[in-house]
Amino acid sequence: MEGGEAIGPPLGVRAGALDWARRNPAWVAVGVLAIIALLLIIAEGLQPFAQRSVNGLVAGSYFALGAIGLTLVYGILKLVNFAHGDTLTLGAYIGFFFNVTLGLPIFLAILFAVVLVGLFGVATEKVMWRPMRRKRAGMLQLLLMALGLAFVLRNAIQFVAGTQPRALDVDVTSTYTFLDLTIGRTELYVVITGFVVLSAVAWMLRSTRLGREMRALADNFDLAETTGIDTGRVVYITWFLAAGLAGLAGVLVVASSGSLNPNTGFFLLLPIFAAVVLGGIGNAFGALAGGIVIGLAQEWSTLVFAPEWKVAVSFVVLIIVLIIRPQGIFGRERTL
Amino acid sequence: MISLPLAISFDFLTAWEFWIGVGVLAGIYGIFVLGLQLNVGYTGIVNFGQAGFMAIGAYSAIILVVEVGLPFLLALLLSILITMAIGVLIGMPSLRLRADYFAIATIAFSEIVRDIAQNARGLTGGNQGTLSLELENDVFFTDPWFKVSDWIAENVLDPIGLGGREFENLPLLIVVWIALGLLAIGMTLLIRSPWGRVLRAIREDEDAARALGKNVFSYKLQSLAIAAGLGAIAGWFLAFNLQSVSQDNFEPLYTFLGYAILVLGGMATFGGVLVGSIILWTVLEGFRFLDLPLSADKQAALRFMVVGVVLILLMAFRPQGAFGKREEMVLGD
Amino acid sequence: MTDARAGGKPILNVEDVHLSFGGIKAVNGATFDVREGSITALIGPNGAGKTTLFNVITGFYKAQAGEITYNGESIFGKPPYAITKRGMVRTFQITKALGAMPVIDNMLLAAPRNPGENLATLLARRRAVRQREREAYEHAYELLRTFNLEDKANDYAATLSGGQRKLLELARALMTEPRMVLLDEPMAGINPSLGRRLLEHMERLRTEEGVTFLFVEHDMEVVMNHSDEVIVMALGRVIARGTPEEVRSDQRVVDAYLGGSSETDVPEGPPTPPPTEAEGGVQGG
Repeated sequence: MEGGEAIGPPLGVRAGALDWARRNPAWVAVGVLAIIALLLIIAEGLQPFAQRSVNGLVAGSYFALGAIGLTLVYGILKLVNFAHGDTLTLGAYIGFFFNVTLGLPIFLAILFAVVLVGLFGVATEKVMWRPMRRKRAGMLQLLLMALGLAFVLRNAIQFVAGTQPRALDVDVTSTYTFLDLTIGRTELYVVITGFVVLSAVAWMLRSTRLGREMRALADNFDLAETTGIDTGRVVYITWFLAAGLAGLAGVLVVASSGSLNPNTGFFLLLPIFAAVVLGGIGNAFGALAGGIVIGLAQEWSTLVFAPEWKVAVSFVVLIIVLIIRPQGIFGRERTL
Repeated sequence: MISLPLAISFDFLTAWEFWIGVGVLAGIYGIFVLGLQLNVGYTGIVNFGQAGFMAIGAYSAIILVVEVGLPFLLALLLSILITMAIGVLIGMPSLRLRADYFAIATIAFSEIVRDIAQNARGLTGGNQGTLSLELENDVFFTDPWFKVSDWIAENVLDPIGLGGREFENLPLLIVVWIALGLLAIGMTLLIRSPWGRVLRAIREDEDAARALGKNVFSYKLQSLAIAAGLGAIAGWFLAFNLQSVSQDNFEPLYTFLGYAILVLGGMATFGGVLVGSIILWTVLEGFRFLDLPLSADKQAALRFMVVGVVLILLMAFRPQGAFGKREEMVLGD
Repeated sequence: MTDARAGGKPILNVEDVHLSFGGIKAVNGATFDVREGSITALIGPNGAGKTTLFNVITGFYKAQAGEITYNGESIFGKPPYAITKRGMVRTFQITKALGAMPVIDNMLLAAPRNPGENLATLLARRRAVRQREREAYEHAYELLRTFNLEDKANDYAATLSGGQRKLLELARALMTEPRMVLLDEPMAGINPSLGRRLLEHMERLRTEEGVTFLFVEHDMEVVMNHSDEVIVMALGRVIARGTPEEVRSDQRVVDAYLGGSSETDVPEGPPTPPPTEAEGGVQGG
């Protein structure tokens, strides 16, 4: 089996550097981030930069949770799940229901949210996606169905809960200060929860057989099917996990931002999608890294631009990635 | 004693004003969806930024008249060109992408447009993106339009007894539908031309089109630009209709409704767009006559839920819509 | 590296082309040229990289190294449509007939230099557009007649049988008025008498108009009796070339066919540029 490098005529140093960059995208990304960070520190000062970074990690943790779910179901659906943002909203409202309406402590509410939204994800697979796959539905059909689902979900939530903004019953005033940096108490919990869950999920994906199978499925569904994976079971579990993580992300968003309305999740879809593309679609670890980077990028941008433009940052990152390296940082360059 | 939970009001048969309004909306969104049909039904690109193009068309026309002081018709023409140019600009980095990626990139674009409308006070002035149509005391952007509208009312409608107050919006209805009709015919002729033939080939199999010497990317750009232009035209009519524009007129919701119209009327038929638009708006607005014991917000949510459910069901069981042909649903297979 | 036989200059020059994907070396230093006005066969065991090489030559894949010259001009890295416009057309192993369009539309699409396909000239030069369409119709019907497809002109291409679709794809390729045609297994799935017609048509085009044919084939009868030259590939490189007789008795060729197992050494990739997921990744083929 002949493997090996492509043999080409000597191309000089510059081309060699570009080639290295192509083969080590993660380092390039780290390098770019470091340079940007350095420039910002020089321009705006260390403390503001560090403070924004703290905020960025908070945002990054729920972006990452949302992004992992989106990337995992990508392989199953063969497209980006438009309804994912509204799944976040669903989780947030369920969390609200248990936390505020029923008065349960927030952690219990989170548990209910994760489980119920997870089951919702499983239900959509059973009722919508599996039958459509069997019918060999085309991409446009699936895309419009996902769209329809997003519509139904968002408006059902609005129908039941109304449009007025809600908030969770969490502590929004106390803060911790450390090394001249402030973080809200709830935000700290959000970050901790986010990182704990992310680590657990990362461990599961990397070290368990189930995790490997899920990754294989997300990466290349058809290929995975041929290798003897019990796709039925893994698909359902993947949906449960993906939706559950989205639900968790939804609750965390509202906990840290303080406000919830039926459009909350949909507006997060863009940064989450940017995170997924940045990390390489179909790659769960990429989604994790991407989420954090997007969170940081959005917060860093407030050092230079007005806060209303935060979401535009995701858009710009998305476009840049799509132009320079559409497969993202961890995506493969070619598919067989 | 059982009381009916729903009471259907039969006033709607005589509420001319209301139904003319529905007709206007159906016409405006008909033009809007002609662009979507060209993109999705005939070229295979899933454009989710159409509301953004509508916004650019409306805002730029108004700004050109109100702030820059250009004559009305020139402003309208320029606004089409500006919108098309932006369409090309957006298309260049994103049209290389797969359908669903492109869809999200265009949603992003549409949201950025709204963001800009909302936040760039310098450009759009006004309150949270609500643009004033007033140039100076009592002189409005829409004045030239009203001259036309009044002329039609006096010389065409009055003589046949349709000059009353409830027919106030009838001139707009007429003009919009004439425009829609002409544009639909134009698009149909275009799609039957050799140029349209290339588009249809691209929709089915891009590589085959490339192998036959077609520059697929360029055609996709052209398709997007034309759709952007159509969106801009829909944008002006929206401005005439509402007599004000605000960024919530251009939420992604409207693009989604556009897709519902597309699906209802069927893929790959411009005539179907007209039918789909009438059906959708009749149903959506017709809901108002069901005296449901619900608040306005909830009613709106219910209406849109129904749209979503219909979309899902259609995609599951009759993806070609009412008038489309099954063979036309080939995208992405 | 010129191996050109006396009597014809090379129209296509492939030099030291390399392509790997996914860690597999699909094309490993392929070098050969094709004489203008010849009918040249490209043969080799499964997985030798023949279709992949076609994809590289016609611009669907971008090779990592090497040089490809067509008609004196480098076409390395050029996009497929630009290559077709320069007169090199190809057919696909798994046919790409546009099923949702009528047969005649498939043919008309292939007509080169059609002012109707350009938005500006479509609107401005109405008469030229109409005239070109008329010409294209005539040429299309001629070709359809040659391949016995004229009765199906107005039917959707999807209603054609497999063999008919192959013929349509060939007719369509010829419609582009090419100088060189690359055919990927043209005989597969066609009944012998139609196949013979095809070959006659090819030979006539070669003799009367100097069109060059390069085809991948597994049918040895066709290769031995109808080609001027044979190029043999194995494991991504050219291992032999010459007239059919020379090649038939070349030991290396025999070894390649007998020694190479039926397991693919190199997967023949899909006929699309192997792009990323974002750009629409894996498609048919």
